[in-house]
Amino acid sequence: DVDTSEWLCESCPFETGYRAEYEAGVSNVSEDAARFGNGNGYDEEGTYANFDGSGHYTTDDYQLDWMIEDLGLASRFAEISGGKQGNYGFYLAYRELPYRLFDTTQTIFTGSLGVPAGWVGAGSTSGMTALDSSLRTRGIESDRRILDAGGHWLSGEQWRVFADFRRQNNEGIDIIAGSGFSQAAQLPRVHDYETDQIDLGIQYRLPRGSATLAYYGSFFSNSNDSLSWQSPFATIMNPERNVMAEAPDNEFQQLTLSGHYRFDTWRSVVAASLATGKGEQDDGLLPYTSLSGIPSDPLPRSSLDGSVDTTNFAVTWTARPMDGLRVKAAYRYDDRDNTTPQTEWTRVIVDLVNSGEPEQNIPYSFERSKLNLSAEYRLFSDWRLSAGYDYKTLDRDFQEVAEQTEDTGWGQVRWKPRGWADLRLRGGASRRDIDRYDLSVTASAGQNPLLRKYNLAYRYREFLEFVASASLPNAPLSVGATFYRSDDDYSRSLLGMTDARETRLTTDLTWTISETASAYLVYGDEQIEASQLGSAGFGDADWSAAHDDNFDHLGIGLALRNVAEKLDLSFDYTRGNGDSAIGVTTDTNGFRPLPDLESKLDSLRIEAEYRHSEQLEITATLRYEQFSADDWALQEVEPATISTLLTLGADPYDYDLWVFGVGFRYRFGDRDIALAE
Amino acid sequence: QADGEDGPDYSRKGADSCFACHDDQATLAVFRTPHAVPTDSRTPFGHDQLQCEACHGPGGEHAARVRRGQERPGVIAFGEGATGTVAEQNAYCIDCHASDTGLGWHGTAHDDDTITCAGCHTSHAASDPVLETSTQAEVCFDCHQQQRTQSLKPFAHVVDEGKMDCGSCHSVHDTTFDAMLVRQTLNQTCHECHAETRGPHLWEHAPVAEDCSTCHEPHGSNHPGMLTMRGPMLCQSCHSQAGHPSLAQDSDSLPSGIASQYLLGQNCMNCHGQVHGSNHPSGSKLMR
Repeated sequence: DVDTSEWLCESCPFETGYRAEYEAGVSNVSEDAARFGNGNGYDEEGTYANFDGSGHYTTDDYQLDWMIEDLGLASRFAEISGGKQGNYGFYLAYRELPYRLFDTTQTIFTGSLGVPAGWVGAGSTSGMTALDSSLRTRGIESDRRILDAGGHWLSGEQWRVFADFRRQNNEGIDIIAGSGFSQAAQLPRVHDYETDQIDLGIQYRLPRGSATLAYYGSFFSNSNDSLSWQSPFATIMNPERNVMAEAPDNEFQQLTLSGHYRFDTWRSVVAASLATGKGEQDDGLLPYTSLSGIPSDPLPRSSLDGSVDTTNFAVTWTARPMDGLRVKAAYRYDDRDNTTPQTEWTRVIVDLVNSGEPEQNIPYSFERSKLNLSAEYRLFSDWRLSAGYDYKTLDRDFQEVAEQTEDTGWGQVRWKPRGWADLRLRGGASRRDIDRYDLSVTASAGQNPLLRKYNLAYRYREFLEFVASASLPNAPLSVGATFYRSDDDYSRSLLGMTDARETRLTTDLTWTISETASAYLVYGDEQIEASQLGSAGFGDADWSAAHDDNFDHLGIGLALRNVAEKLDLSFDYTRGNGDSAIGVTTDTNGFRPLPDLESKLDSLRIEAEYRHSEQLEITATLRYEQFSADDWALQEVEPATISTLLTLGADPYDYDLWVFGVGFRYRFGDRDIALAE
Repeated sequence: QADGEDGPDYSRKGADSCFACHDDQATLAVFRTPHAVPTDSRTPFGHDQLQCEACHGPGGEHAARVRRGQERPGVIAFGEGATGTVAEQNAYCIDCHASDTGLGWHGTAHDDDTITCAGCHTSHAASDPVLETSTQAEVCFDCHQQQRTQSLKPFAHVVDEGKMDCGSCHSVHDTTFDAMLVRQTLNQTCHECHAETRGPHLWEHAPVAEDCSTCHEPHGSNHPGMLTMRGPMLCQSCHSQAGHPSLAQDSDSLPSGIASQYLLGQNCMNCHGQVHGSNHPSGSKLMR
């Protein structure tokens, strides 16, 4: 107990009233670039008006906050929150998130995915004589609109009730394949998704722990049950339309009980959660074929009655049984039990030919468990030794591998002299093993019996990680570095992935030049290599591919604050280079590598804030970004380049643009905080 | 000095003692934070609470006069210039925030022996960068440098634009889930935004139902769709079908040779567009 009778807090500047700042500005973008506008909304050349702001209002009891970001852009955000702290709180927020994939795509299809008037179908794209005159630009882009609302209520110090609601609308155009026997067209599909999510819960808090009962519901609905299109190819051109199913409406609901408790014994903490959930999907099914006159069987059921039960359990125990020793044990269990009824279906191949071969739908289920045991011992004052063992199991239905286990052992040495450095070296190995690779499953799927799917195959992995950070005493520098390397060996796979390696290196440097100036440098490099074997002849391996994915980036920045007591300045430069090489070797052709997939990013951002007066600031932003990509999947692939595929002709990304913005920020209320008198 | 019964001494006048010296804007900004709401009895500046010393520890010796040449005794400091151990610093935070850190904190890389609360949180600022979507990732990237690199790859979630935050998928305090995800499993987390892939579909694609990361790298990739490998080779890692041979796609398949629909455009997905599952009775090959 502390005698606080004289702690009057007379000088405490508790906040009441209103303060806010609002900024109005304009920006100009020099070039159309879908990729640049992805996320921020600056995807088109031109001038954008913008408005930002934030504010706070407080009375003795109540608080209200609001924020507006990028009101004039497709990435706008607004939020209002408030309440009586310690009693209740609420929020309402709205965000738009633009997804911009391509603005160079062209299509012949009408809005309803029909072929245009005067279209000349052909057996291959080269014969589509009306193609050039029929192409219209159609960007591949969508917008996600997210509405969040919720709140919490506290009753005493023990009870907390919370409720959160989120509605997401995702509308726009994506790419989907409209395929026939041996020909296909890339379709600019219009999608319109809506997902509602609800979180409700009640929590009981104790000084030593808590318990929470929570409900989660997620409800997805798709405005479109099906997608129909006309084939542009003459050989399978039909007077009627081909039809595919759209993503079905579905829902998932889950009840979770979780909690934790701290014990005095060994200063232990136990945390656990148990969740049971159910996913359902019962959209009406489309007919086997949309074409009249095609013989087909009656559907065995009008809807799937799809159902998945989930169970998730986790418990973690941490303790300090003696000075310097920490131990941890954790167990996790996940079950996905797909109870969807199995039925025989007789498909009509690409809307035209009854296969005559009934096949059953396969409701995949699995059980996954994971046990982690670890201990850390502090040796002397600066050294810590750790070791751990993980054991995972994965049992699946209907797949080639029914039982899979993985053992992992690792050790770590850490040197952490107080206050200035932290070095950690960790290494280990894991062995993923399987009971057997069931060739009857392989055969029923028509797969090459030598193939081993990489997520089901035997794998031996070794890994090493080094992490270091240091802030030199009495020096204005802090440095950090990380290194990670893993080697995967799928030595029992005769086809499929055979080995993989991942190497990552990063470093950063921060220099506090003075109280008003700082600089940084960050660098990162990642390399992912993999090898695979394939068989074109449905026998032994007759080709191989070696993948070498590289990416590195460099970031440099400088921040100057309070220059001449008026100006804040920041400079940030980012460079990113990607390079993916795929070397393909076949028994017949030898080594014929694909051209490297390359990407180059250069991005510079300069920002300035000038304090004209206590209330008014003038801001300026200059941004330059250059991005180019070499991508053989798109390069020189015009709509008719591939004889059997009518593409949208997207170009690899290539832009070089400037954004210049200026704004005026006005502040209401005091900038500085003065002690109460 | 106020007497702490059988304990260290507190200052005589609480915050008024502190502000006699510490009246800079960075310190006073705490009055624009939830820590300084006098009507909330739980906060350091609530009724009968210990004000600055609730977090910085007893300041009696620190505030008392010192002899000339004598070093002034310190108090608990956080962030840069901190003198206490990680555990000592965090104990002050967890004393009040125990229920916020109970489920997912202990025994993880974020726990009380590894990094400080102040390593992520800025408690004296009106706006804590780690709690704001536009600035959160930069805080996380201070330690998670490899994820910073990945976020700058050609195909990534828009974290680098400040429009998504790490907290969209990860909850660092309050979960017992793998990778500190916000939902029980990776797939349940992905379905937060991508519920159109959830199903259950009539025709499921086995890895889709089990683990999205079998094919996708959610932190960023050199390949479209954040795929772990370029198609068609990614698909050919698992599929070598009778009647639909797993043909090698080399430079002969480029436009300069015989432009192949198996390699160019969206490769396998030029026909098999429903890779996340199909609900069409004729969709067993994921084409309808």
